[in-house]
Amino acid sequence: MVSRPKDRVQARWEEAANRNWELQEGADGSIEGVLGGLEEAGKRKRLLKDTTPLQRGIIRHTLLVLDLSTAMNEKDLRPTRHLLTIKYTIMFVREFFEQNPISQLGILGMREGLAIRVSDMSGNPNDHISALKILRGTEPKGNPSLQNALDMARAALYHTPSHGTREVVIILGALLSSDPGDIHDTIKACIRDRIRVRIIGLAAQMHICAEICRKTNGGDENYYDVAIDEVDYKQQLMAITTPPVLRVTDADSSDTQGKNQSALLMMGFPSRIVEEKATLCACHGNLTRGGYLCSRCKAKVCNLPATCPTCDLTLILSTHLARSYHHLFPLRNWSEVSWSRARTKGTTQCYGCLSSFPAVPKQHEVANGTEHDQGAAKTKRAEGASESSRYECEACGDHFCIDCDVFCHEVVHNCPGCQSTVPADISEKTNGD
Amino acid sequence: MNVVDATDRAEAHEDLEPPSLLTIILDTNPHAWALLGDSLPLSKAVANLLVFINAHLAINYANRVAVIASHAERAAWLYPTPAHARKQETQMNGSVSNSHAQNGEGRGGAVQPPDDANKYRPFAQMEYAFMDNLRKLMDSTTTEAIQSSPSTMLAGALTRALAYISKQTSTVPTTTTNAQFNYSDPSSVAGGNDLNNDPTSNQTTQGLTSRVLIVSVSGDLADKYIEIMNSIFACQRLSIPIDILKLAGDPVFLQQAADTTGGIYMSLSTPQARAGLLQYLMFAYLPDQTARDHLIMPGEDGTCLLCGSHLSMANYGQKPAVVPRKKKGKKKRIADSGVDTPGSGSGTPIPV
Repeated sequence: MVSRPKDRVQARWEEAANRNWELQEGADGSIEGVLGGLEEAGKRKRLLKDTTPLQRGIIRHTLLVLDLSTAMNEKDLRPTRHLLTIKYTIMFVREFFEQNPISQLGILGMREGLAIRVSDMSGNPNDHISALKILRGTEPKGNPSLQNALDMARAALYHTPSHGTREVVIILGALLSSDPGDIHDTIKACIRDRIRVRIIGLAAQMHICAEICRKTNGGDENYYDVAIDEVDYKQQLMAITTPPVLRVTDADSSDTQGKNQSALLMMGFPSRIVEEKATLCACHGNLTRGGYLCSRCKAKVCNLPATCPTCDLTLILSTHLARSYHHLFPLRNWSEVSWSRARTKGTTQCYGCLSSFPAVPKQHEVANGTEHDQGAAKTKRAEGASESSRYECEACGDHFCIDCDVFCHEVVHNCPGCQSTVPADISEKTNGD
Repeated sequence: MNVVDATDRAEAHEDLEPPSLLTIILDTNPHAWALLGDSLPLSKAVANLLVFINAHLAINYANRVAVIASHAERAAWLYPTPAHARKQETQMNGSVSNSHAQNGEGRGGAVQPPDDANKYRPFAQMEYAFMDNLRKLMDSTTTEAIQSSPSTMLAGALTRALAYISKQTSTVPTTTTNAQFNYSDPSSVAGGNDLNNDPTSNQTTQGLTSRVLIVSVSGDLADKYIEIMNSIFACQRLSIPIDILKLAGDPVFLQQAADTTGGIYMSLSTPQARAGLLQYLMFAYLPDQTARDHLIMPGEDGTCLLCGSHLSMANYGQKPAVVPRKKKGKKKRIADSGVDTPGSGSGTPIPV
């Protein structure tokens, strides 16, 4: 047996682990030097993403496939994989429709070697959530079958229009797939139907999963991952709510089906009406005193977004479209600010929330500082955190604190500085783009 | 302290109303105010607004206020005073010590109001800082700046207001930790506060409840559509209502903001309605979210705030007969004392 080399390279799963016991106190007994900015760096790590504007598929047709096999009874994710999955899936459904209001979602399950339908394709989150709540009471059973699930998903997505994306998201707890035939044929059929498959594993990597994801995503290997813990699982699931980037191949295949059809989509933008007397709505047949009139046939629907029950026109509000804008025009990342830069700008307060920054050290202190002091100052802050606790928007040059950095990039998607001043050259380059 | 000696102190169980942060965005676009000059000049509107702010501060000692001007070419803080403005002042005066500027920390505390023993100190500080900053803002406005941009920087003002609110909310200690949507926590989701599906859990919040009031006079905001929509959706995520008081201009856009976030929208389009600005402010916009649960809020059709009966605008200020009066005696006393004693509001510009 070959013995393991002693100075072996750290395993990948070990890299993320935080070794608290190895933290060294500074000479004055404070651990700020070691911890310095670790928290800030962690907050920022999530922020630093690619901000190039891309064409994204806002109209999505997504099928979520849940594993309902015996493997989901495992308790490595608390309380069990099954219950946690259902809890996260309910959150996923809410967030999905928050981010993609004009998309359709359906849920399938894999149980006892079969694919079962949990909820049909629908744009109403409550349909899915109520179906999931019923599922909570059932017991996972038997083996999963990836092939059956993919085939059923393919059938469900078959009639969807070509302007939208076709996505399948599989959550797989088992380490096997009991298939009736050759799964490679199914993969080829999926590629032909422009279906993209993403898989989140809950146990360990499987070769066939990696292959499915790679082949259906044009060779990209980033679509298969295994969740290491509950938080990671949730992050991976929630990451799927962001509309996917459109690929060239998607555009090509839709070209063959007719250019006009894919480029433009007919939609109605009805406005709200309030009536004196209650009338029946076309969607449920209930008596309501308000609603929206279809722009084409004047049928009354209660809620938007909806498809007109009479003439099949997609009815939405402009706000539904506006919700996706920040995906299309992302806010540019802010850069870290060095002490010298902070001194030249002379900022004392966060531009957004008016909280004070740590004061800039005096010029001579830094100049007279011994070599090791400067070295310490360099290692003091963790990677990604700014040494002066300031973050600068490169478009307007204002300085912000870490909280505003996170808030502006994750919630508002606006730069307070760029929005508060007219840019010197009246160009369209506002909002840090 | 509680953490240090592990005692359970009485303050933790206070059953008071949560303090609320009112952020007012005042549209100071000179063009639009010039058009309104006949019926409601800016000075009068500001005087009304100050009374309203004082009322908000008086309701709860922990209430806070922030005012942002959405000016023609920039958005600027009116209250609290930002640091750089304060620094300039201390340099000019030369007398105010440095410690003030550092301790103030965005409370506007370093700007010293004239001493007045008869005035409630927070009123005095707020009024002084507000008026001072507004005057500076107007003085620094150049004709070129006005000519170059006839619109207003509402998107910037909203974004800064939200950044301020988020910071203030995160610094206020809450007894229930999960009550507010925590955006920097990876384990939380937007709109997914109610993970345990318990609608009553939010009632126990002792944190800060925030709301935004936009006093708008400008019309066209179409050029900043995406940015404003982004802010509106952020408000919706954080469940911050945006109240709109529209004094002039095209209403469509802000109506949507109020509708999406669950705020109040009112449009004072006639001179008669504008004359009652203070009444509108006090009746419609003073109650915070917790109080609004128990009130019927004004809709488009001019419904009475208290009893829900339809009223025409002319008798808006009268008291409807059917409202149950709980504390009759107390009300009377307040009314009496207001006449005789020099109240703490002395010196506030009187809205006439």
